[in-house]
Amino acid sequence: MSAAPHLVISGVSKRFGAATVLDRVDLTIRRGELVTLLGPSGCGKTTLLRAIAGLAPPDGGTIALAGRDVTHVPPHRRNVGVVFQSYALFPHLTVAGNVAFGLKVRGAPKAEIDRAVERALSLVKLGHLGSRRISALSGGQQQRVALARAIAVEPDVLLFDEALSALDRKLREEMQVELRRLLQEVKATAIFVTHDQDEALTMSDRVAVMNKGRIEQLAEPRELYARPASLFALNFVGLSTRIAGQVVGGSNGTVEVVTPVGRLSARGAFQPGASVIVATRPEQLRLGTGDGANSAAGRVRSVVFQGSRTLVDVDAGAGASLLAELSGREAELPRVHDEVRFAWPVAETFAFAAEAS
Amino acid sequence: MTDAVLPAPIVKAAPDRERLAAFGFVAPSVLIIALVFVLPLALLLGVSVLDPKGGVTVAHYARLLGTPYYLGVIWNSLRLGLLTTLIAFLISYPAAFALARARGALRSILLATLFLPLAASVIVKAFAWTILLRSDGLINTVLIAVGIIEDPIRMIFTQTALIVGAVNIFLPFMVLPIYAVVAQLDGRYAEAAATLGASPLVVFFRVILPLTLPGIIAGVALVFSLSVSAYVVPTLLIGEKYPTLATTIAKAYLLAREPGFGAAAGVVLLAIAIIVVALSAMLSREPK
Ligand SMILES: Nc1ncnc2c1ncn2[C@@H]1O[C@H](COP(=O)(O)OP(=O)(O)OP(=O)(O)O)[C@@H](O)[C@H]1O
Ligand SMILES: [Mg+2]
Repeated sequence: MSAAPHLVISGVSKRFGAATVLDRVDLTIRRGELVTLLGPSGCGKTTLLRAIAGLAPPDGGTIALAGRDVTHVPPHRRNVGVVFQSYALFPHLTVAGNVAFGLKVRGAPKAEIDRAVERALSLVKLGHLGSRRISALSGGQQQRVALARAIAVEPDVLLFDEALSALDRKLREEMQVELRRLLQEVKATAIFVTHDQDEALTMSDRVAVMNKGRIEQLAEPRELYARPASLFALNFVGLSTRIAGQVVGGSNGTVEVVTPVGRLSARGAFQPGASVIVATRPEQLRLGTGDGANSAAGRVRSVVFQGSRTLVDVDAGAGASLLAELSGREAELPRVHDEVRFAWPVAETFAFAAEAS
Repeated sequence: MTDAVLPAPIVKAAPDRERLAAFGFVAPSVLIIALVFVLPLALLLGVSVLDPKGGVTVAHYARLLGTPYYLGVIWNSLRLGLLTTLIAFLISYPAAFALARARGALRSILLATLFLPLAASVIVKAFAWTILLRSDGLINTVLIAVGIIEDPIRMIFTQTALIVGAVNIFLPFMVLPIYAVVAQLDGRYAEAAATLGASPLVVFFRVILPLTLPGIIAGVALVFSLSVSAYVVPTLLIGEKYPTLATTIAKAYLLAREPGFGAAAGVVLLAIAIIVVALSAMLSREPK
């Protein structure tokens, strides 16, 4: 993967009436990279994608694609591929007719079109269905025709808007893996919109977490999970234990926080007196009282067995709760109503400013 | 990953007894259709070839297709049908999009202006046009009063009056079927086509037009068959100068007492309507 910026979005804003749907979004994507836009419903993911495609020009900011400023270029001169949630396959054309459409309107010679159609259809494993009507395809097949149609023109960037959400869960999980393999095979640069965090973590090189028209964090899946940049990012990706408290001191990027479950140390820089949320991931919690670690005690509220792991929810008193993920092999799993003590490393404990709400 | 397998058709060959039962259910409607539509047609065909003196004759058809006058009559009907259909289509197609795009009260008002005239009889509407177009009619009176013209313009009993009236009267039958299709059209198709490199013009001809064809065909079929066989409209708006198959049929039955000739003209009219409607449906097929 080369490091050259391929798609550069700077300061893109979009308003619908009084509502600011995109608020000065910056996003740079490298050639061949697969980036996911992850965020709750209404945060502006589709709007950003449509701005990139040219279907909804932004009110402010610029978009550059493959070294060309395309901010005011109409969609048909942008060379982007879009896979819509509803697929939008042309019902009056066959499978092959749909895939050929982009090349036909570009006036490519017939032999070249045939070759490209065959290649695109075989990439999505639909080589034998070229002459089918769209209405005679299953949902999964339609999804792949939509993909073949988009990649047949070799776009500079492929945009997927919740492209898998219409499929049932099993098919969706298969497609996630297959799609990632396929996109790497054709060396596509792609943006994937989803509000499914598992899909985001599975599919992408980097994830952009969006909230209220802004990108809160742009990071690789591992880093996003292990080092969330904000309370929103923490909440949106994965499970966590969160305890509210007040900063009483600290140094060197570590703060001391007084909480209902006792004094805890966390990474972060806050002035004494600040209201913060102290958080950690469930798999950091271990039974016992680790040395020099954070620890808290409580009564087990529920134990949920999930195969290779077990989730333990502990009532730590004063409205605080601890969520621990223990591996299935752990010798003695606690039972409901047991009194337990958990410890977790300070290095994996974060402090975030408590949201004023 | 394997392809999702399409379910096999669930309709199996029904046992004879079930088929018999199914036939029992549709039999009444088949009977009614036969009585109401097929029987009169058969009668019409029969009368057109039966010689009152006994035997079978094609004399009526020979007269229709062999006389320059009657060929002119056929051409008049065809012209009326084609021109009305073409102009109605050119007006209706953009109108249907405007209608589909309109929101709220505006849409209701526009739809009402289309639907309400359907409640009035054709005769009333044709007369309304004569009132507008007469030499002492509304348009001439206003134009003279305002001083734009000095002498009344001759508008009634011209071909222009005929076509304008026919288009106006049959317009809803073109707009409504097209509107029904356009209103259902998913805007994503045009967007998908644009992202694939199609300019707005290409989007229109390769996506919008083919997807709205079913509505166009329905509208063309309706308006052509209505206007090619229109009787009241040419009678009131142009009269004797423009004999059509429909007015010829009426004359044959009412004045000349030639039912055989009238029936033959009826068959020719029907054949024209069927051929044009079938042709338009065939031409509209997406070429492979
Ligand atoms: N054409 C429009 N006119 C007015 N408001 C719009 C329009 N399109 C989007 N919005 C608003 O902009 C906001 C963001 O919409 P957008 O479709 O980008 O959200 P999203 O992140 O894709 O959500 P979802 O996950 O539900 O698809 C929403 O509040 C939506 O109501
Ligand atoms: Mg969306």
